[in-house]
Amino acid sequence: MKNTIFTIVTLALVATSTISWSKSSSTNINEKTNDSLMVSEHHWLNTKFPPTENTIKTNEENLTLKFSIASIIKDYLALKNALVASNDKAAADAGERLLTTFKKVDKKAIPASKHQEYKEIAENAMENAEHISENKGNIGHQREHFASLSKDIKDLIAMFGTPQALYEDYCPMYNGKKGALWISEVKEIKNPYFGSKMLGCGSVKKSY
Amino acid sequence: MIVIALFVFVAIQFYQPPLNEDGGRFYATDFTQSYNVNANIEGLLHNSCYDCHSNNTNYRWYDYIQPARMLIESHIKEAKEELNFNNWGNYSNRKQDRLLNSIQEQIEKKEMPLSSYTLIHGHARLNAEQIKALTNWFEQQQ
Repeated sequence: MKNTIFTIVTLALVATSTISWSKSSSTNINEKTNDSLMVSEHHWLNTKFPPTENTIKTNEENLTLKFSIASIIKDYLALKNALVASNDKAAADAGERLLTTFKKVDKKAIPASKHQEYKEIAENAMENAEHISENKGNIGHQREHFASLSKDIKDLIAMFGTPQALYEDYCPMYNGKKGALWISEVKEIKNPYFGSKMLGCGSVKKSY
Repeated sequence: MIVIALFVFVAIQFYQPPLNEDGGRFYATDFTQSYNVNANIEGLLHNSCYDCHSNNTNYRWYDYIQPARMLIESHIKEAKEELNFNNWGNYSNRKQDRLLNSIQEQIEKKEMPLSSYTLIHGHARLNAEQIKALTNWFEQQQ
């Protein structure tokens, strides 16, 4: 009796996990299907309403707009907010997550002509994220790499655009007055380089 | 017990992984080819940095003793992955910018050269004046 119940419970667990696993992978398939739906809709529209010169976009431009850095931005902002709070442990964790996100990027979604540029930025950003993740207890070192990382993120936004409203902020005091930028999701200045020591230092240089 | 330890100690001496050596050959991509490096700065870099951060380590006799040897090789491998001065010319501008700043910071904070390294390799130690010379020089390159 006991054995039977045990077997049933195990099978149930296996079944549940298999189902949820295939569900999560099929979400990805759904996303791909949605994209191809968009493409075929576009084609239909093209025959009904032939595009004018202004609406013709090259395949490449379409791909560039399709490739999204949303998850990279999300993880970067979490890291930024950890540094604003001067929380080195949270920053290390966020750095780890950002590194993982970069590793999971589907490079096939990036147009071939942008591969080289993307690769250069991503390699540098990953190096920065790695250092941040490995320097719990050394927020100074984390911030140093955050400065370099922020430049990488800025360049990625320039390449691929951003799905959400963002602000490019600048702090002139950091790094022996060499200054440093950061990207923020809020207009209010909250300095990640100095935290509460100089929370409002800096200004908005650009709105995305 | 001591006999066994001694035996193990002697045995591991026979494991000598490949040396990080290239006969001190010239690299067109070396760091010193990218900047105006005066003799003083070049000397400091070679004495305090290049043993780990290049393709040519100047091994001392005590570097061959295990298990120190294994530790040294693992340090060199990690160091070269982070920064290899011989390979500088191959780095993107982005990477070079990041590294120039990092190198300056690490020297200024005395995090580099590693104290575990300078403890034994006295020639690699940097005094206050040398630290200042290096950090000022790196500052100027940025």
